[in-house]
Amino acid sequence: MKKIIITNNPRVYENYLSKMDIMYSDAYSYLDVLSEARDKIHEGHNLLTHPLSGSVKPNETPYKSLAISIERGSLDMDSLMIIEESIATARKFITGKKTPLWTEQILKDFQMIDFYLIKSAIESMDQFHV
Amino acid sequence: MRLELGRIKITDVQFGDTTKVVNGTLYVNEQEIVNLIMEDEHIKSVKVELAKPGEETRITPVKDVIEPRAKVEGQGGIFPGVMNKVTTVGTGRTHVLSGAAVVTCGKIVGFQEGIIDMSGPGAEYTPFSKTCNVCLVIEPVEGLKQPEYEAAARMAGLKAANFIGKAGMSVQPDEVEVYETKPLLESIQEYPNLPKVGYVYMLQTQGLLHDTYVYGVDAKKIVPTILYPTEIMDGAILSGNCVSACDKNTTYHHQNNPIIHDLYARHGKDINFVGVIITNENVYLADKERSSDWTAKLCRFLGLDGAIVSQEGFGNPDTDLIMNCKKIENQGVKTVIVTDEYAGRDGASQSLADADPKADAVVTGGNANEVIVLPPMKKIIGMLDYTDKIAGGFDGSLRPDGSIEAEIQVITGATNELGFNKMSATSF
Repeated sequence: MKKIIITNNPRVYENYLSKMDIMYSDAYSYLDVLSEARDKIHEGHNLLTHPLSGSVKPNETPYKSLAISIERGSLDMDSLMIIEESIATARKFITGKKTPLWTEQILKDFQMIDFYLIKSAIESMDQFHV
Repeated sequence: MRLELGRIKITDVQFGDTTKVVNGTLYVNEQEIVNLIMEDEHIKSVKVELAKPGEETRITPVKDVIEPRAKVEGQGGIFPGVMNKVTTVGTGRTHVLSGAAVVTCGKIVGFQEGIIDMSGPGAEYTPFSKTCNVCLVIEPVEGLKQPEYEAAARMAGLKAANFIGKAGMSVQPDEVEVYETKPLLESIQEYPNLPKVGYVYMLQTQGLLHDTYVYGVDAKKIVPTILYPTEIMDGAILSGNCVSACDKNTTYHHQNNPIIHDLYARHGKDINFVGVIITNENVYLADKERSSDWTAKLCRFLGLDGAIVSQEGFGNPDTDLIMNCKKIENQGVKTVIVTDEYAGRDGASQSLADADPKADAVVTGGNANEVIVLPPMKKIIGMLDYTDKIAGGFDGSLRPDGSIEAEIQVITGATNELGFNKMSATSF
């Protein structure tokens, strides 16, 4: 399936750079990634993965990767509902307690977790569409 | 399918020359356990430690908790497809070392693991403060990647539980419970006037450290299917879920699922409990659509009047839960959903990341954002330096005196979404 990955995770970027379309910035916050996805959904892209993937909380991990369709159509209300509810949930966590300033090693752990979450979705999507 | 569960009550655990059960005391040969676990070349060392109820002991970071069981009659063995042949389990007789548990600890990642306090205020929030625990502190060989470390720790726990469980094979149980589920048509014939109730059992399946296994199969790769409840008591479902300690289901939770237990308690009285539908919680939205379509289809196919739907984990699974609820209700099957809440420290925020008017019967396991102070403990099993990085903990949460101020989401099983805890909410 043709898709665009939106991410702030360097590990995801480096791994998929040559394989698919990626919107990446290391300056994106967790909420920025969700906001970028929301804007794209308003432009007619569909959400392909759940924005709150993983049990790691939005105020623990700074990293987020998600996938949207490369094709555009009319506004998909299901995608919009999911991204809006996810943004509200993430904002609730982040305003309640800020993400700590983690050590480099722990940041790498969070990158790894986020990488495996999006990887599991990409593998599921690409079983018939490499 | 009929299973006798022979409960051998364990009230103490001690090291001994042989691994055996005598008068309610579980004796564990430390070296035997170490030898068994060190067969795995991925493990550098394992430390076996005991923790008993009431002790001033803190166990952290907890990966999994497993109840030792052994099959004494009937086909197959405990943990089919992993520790024993993949033969279908759930019939015959199984002996349970009730009150004993194997607890695995390891710093697979530098955050996100659980705490079990054996006494003090934290002990009230975890069921594993009441069990006699054989703890395995597992260190990997140098350079081992996290996926391999996680798999090694998971297997170490299962091996130890399988080994210790065998100590109960020839022991006379203190009590024997009998559970039986008949094939659907026979069950309906037996109780033609009782409402048919099923259980939709959602399993965490999002990827590394978020996985669950059914008969050895990675459950993210399954489509929803039907199990006899007794298969689950024999270890058909295993946890590979290491994240979000408060609301992950450990293997022990799967073995002792209280929803299954309570549905059986009313089976043949006011309901006809016909079986379990297992389903997954994947990241890809199309997988969620397919799986929730299938759970609804299976509920209708079984002719259910009602279904209990339980969730595992935070955030993303809220969407699976609501999709399941809506679609099952649209088939004319009434639902009760079981979840927990992240409602902020004051409990005033929206609890779930998704909602629907059809979700009008909800059981909660409590608010994971509630704050608790855990006093220092005399003994630490595992690694305390990781505690300030655990979910819900924050910088500085580990105080110089060893006490911890954190949200209850750090505690293993605190807001369990099968209801295996004491917390809930009620309206008046």
